[in-house]
Amino acid sequence: MRNRIFASLIILLIANTVVGQNRRRVDLSIPEVDRKDVICFALYTVHDQTLKLTAQLYPLKNDEVRLARLEIKKEGNWVEVAQTEVIEQGWTAPFRVAKWDDANTWQYRVRHGEQAVYEGTIRRNPTDKDEIVVAGFTGNSIMPAHGGDISRQDILDNIQRINADILFFAGDQVYDHKRHYAAWLKFGRDFGDIIKDRPTICLPDDHDVGQPNLWGESGKISTLRGAADGGYAQPGLYVQEVERAQTSHLPDPADPHKIGQDISVYFTNLNWGNIDFAILEDRKFKTGPAGRVPKQGPRPDHIRNPEYDPVSVDVEGAILLGKRQLAFLKSWTQDWQNAKMKVALSQTIFCGGAHIHGSASGRLHADMDSNGWPQSGRNRAIDALRKGFAFHLAGDQHLATIFHHGVNEHRDAIWSFCVPSIANLYLRWWAPLEAGANREDNMPEYTGDHLDGFGNKVTNYAAANPEKKPAGNILNTRSAGFGIVRLNTKTREITMECWPRNVDITSDDAQQYPGWPRTISQLDNYHPRSWGKMKEFQFDYAHPVVQLVDNETDEVLYTIRAQNSFFTPHAPLNREFTIKVGKDSPDRVITTSAKAKK
Amino acid sequence: MTIQSDQAKVKASNWQTQVLEYCLRIGNFFCFAGWAWGHLYWEPSYASILWSEASFEWFQQFGYSWEEFTGTGANDGLIQKCIQWIGWICVANAVLSFTARRNSWIQLCLLTSGSLFMLAVAVAKYIRSGFELPMLIEHGGQILSPILLVMALSIGVRNRITTMTAIIAVMMTFGGHGLYAVGLWPTPATFVGMTRVVIGWDYDASKLFLLVAGVLDFIVCFGVLIPFLRRSSALYAMIWGIVTAAARPVAGMSWELNYWGADQFLHESAYRAPHFFIPLFLYLYWTYTKVQHSFGSLTLETKDMTLPSTTK
Repeated sequence: MRNRIFASLIILLIANTVVGQNRRRVDLSIPEVDRKDVICFALYTVHDQTLKLTAQLYPLKNDEVRLARLEIKKEGNWVEVAQTEVIEQGWTAPFRVAKWDDANTWQYRVRHGEQAVYEGTIRRNPTDKDEIVVAGFTGNSIMPAHGGDISRQDILDNIQRINADILFFAGDQVYDHKRHYAAWLKFGRDFGDIIKDRPTICLPDDHDVGQPNLWGESGKISTLRGAADGGYAQPGLYVQEVERAQTSHLPDPADPHKIGQDISVYFTNLNWGNIDFAILEDRKFKTGPAGRVPKQGPRPDHIRNPEYDPVSVDVEGAILLGKRQLAFLKSWTQDWQNAKMKVALSQTIFCGGAHIHGSASGRLHADMDSNGWPQSGRNRAIDALRKGFAFHLAGDQHLATIFHHGVNEHRDAIWSFCVPSIANLYLRWWAPLEAGANREDNMPEYTGDHLDGFGNKVTNYAAANPEKKPAGNILNTRSAGFGIVRLNTKTREITMECWPRNVDITSDDAQQYPGWPRTISQLDNYHPRSWGKMKEFQFDYAHPVVQLVDNETDEVLYTIRAQNSFFTPHAPLNREFTIKVGKDSPDRVITTSAKAKK
Repeated sequence: MTIQSDQAKVKASNWQTQVLEYCLRIGNFFCFAGWAWGHLYWEPSYASILWSEASFEWFQQFGYSWEEFTGTGANDGLIQKCIQWIGWICVANAVLSFTARRNSWIQLCLLTSGSLFMLAVAVAKYIRSGFELPMLIEHGGQILSPILLVMALSIGVRNRITTMTAIIAVMMTFGGHGLYAVGLWPTPATFVGMTRVVIGWDYDASKLFLLVAGVLDFIVCFGVLIPFLRRSSALYAMIWGIVTAAARPVAGMSWELNYWGADQFLHESAYRAPHFFIPLFLYLYWTYTKVQHSFGSLTLETKDMTLPSTTK
């Protein structure tokens, strides 16, 4: 009898859910558009005097030409600068124009056939600006249940008001696992008006490529539900189409060798306004945890047992960024050509950045979908990034946070800002059971020094936790919003802002999520408290590139472009360093026996 | 006919009844054992349905608080407990597969509730799939497996209703698969992925292979209704059922993984056991019927009613 009652309850519950789901379904049909509107939107970047622009088209008819043209306005006349074939699988038209004049702003238009025209602006490289403004987004749910059907006009208005220099979409632009193309067109309709006029970086994440989590394992085929066995659940052709739509306008890849299933790579760098952005793929090479780590919970990627030994899951051979990206980062952190500050962009942050997962799934000790796992790979990644004082901007967590990361000690590595979701599909909370150590005065107990679920050293400075039972304002009670990062190349300061939705962020009474804004120095990204200072070095030119090399290991400690014509290096105590300097690269040794003192 | 030859036929019929019954018992056992593993060791695939605000709102009506529903971290909430309970119900159903007898009504009732449970699982997966009809249909074999066993025990394995239910189960399983495989609904990526990993073909060849397999699935659906095709259809369905169930561990398991990945993949094969045991049941049933028809005019269905459950 109890069985029957229970079964009846389950059926009632499911029926209730069915009704609920039907009420909240999303229309993702591709609209039939006039032929003059067949170009939906266009994304572009300019790097190293090369323009790359990808126009996204609606489906073309059989009798329509497959050629798209790019024109720019020169002295009042439209001049064609490139043509390209429209790639039918995904209807993208990727243009590449070398020897681009990035010192000037250009009006452009993409054309198809006789009627279709899409216009925008290619901005000049803002090298003369002191402050470069980056707007960061993630998690673009379109489900009405999460406020996904609410207009994005507030975001568009705010981006126009602050005139952001560059847009960064960190992932999950698309949540539909089977209809990326249709959802991508909707994304374009929603954001095209701000994307068309400024460089935009998009990183496809797990949902974009059609799966709930992604451990890419260099292109392996995943066959396990949830994909924790590693690899891609969708066919390689699908993944290629997604990456072509979202990343073919990025600068050429640093190391273009393809991975399994003929999937491309896109990790590279973009220099804009004297900020050098590393564009990383933190999922593509990552090892899947299923069967590799001891089971610690009801899912192979979730650790529910707080008593487990974190070392047991840091298994040998598990990869995070992989050798190719680490090699790229090594050269990127040492290359300061036209760069005053460095920022790493990737899908997610290098720690387990939440404790409570899902609207109702309770506490999770650690999540291997985060970049806190594998710990050795995480340490290698942030060790590489701190050598260039790179600030890390990412998304994916559905929870905005600021962390200062540690490798050997707390706060000895980079800072990260995880931006909030545009509309929050899946709630998470940063809620450690113990109060953080070394907190700032009057800061919440969840801030301060902690170990994440993998035993990684992290220091939290802010977390935009959603309400425990979100109600009312369906966006902001779920901590939806976007991030703004102001990179000041003059003061070398980085300011993080975290804004809720539907506020005018330029108004005096607009309030950010608690914990924001926060400003740090570029140097804070590698300034362990145990280090000391060397004497001040004076140079006969401004902003030299300075590099410290450890005499014992011959390894580069760090490379940086000095803020002034003088620089006071900081370094570990009781070790001897060689200091190299140069105008654009550290090619001249100025001392071979520099030591730091407390 | 002599009394001796009649006794031989009845003896043979008894033995065959046992074999047919055990086809259904074993299929049902592995089905629920697989689901039990999925609930007690892992998390069932439909769990995300429970972990939703809609579910919480529903349970809230019964006075459950947030912490009681989700768990606090230090202890399990209602969701985790529900999953565990369901897991134990699966264990019970797996055990009942072998213990249930014709007159043990409580056990038969509990087995019947297993069908309701499987229906609930199928509906949950149907919702998760975005309301794709084949997802619901293809679970027909698993949904009907317990009730088929109950029928076999209570009204006889050779009863027309029992065999018709088995035919419906096969048609649903293969019809659902076929709808996906030929692409009338988007072919699940795992179908293509497993084909590529197991056979080593490229994407296009794998899609073509699945298209052919899908067409054959439909032929099976009709074949089991046509007397001269039904045995070969059932035989093909059994083989294809084994292949598709085995594809999961074959594609996913590896010497490099803990327990070779057996804990991840084997239960996925196990709960698909009705996909090949029910066709096997039909194949054997039609084989025995054919042989016995050639023996003479003994009415097996009548005999079956008089000599039902040999394991009394």
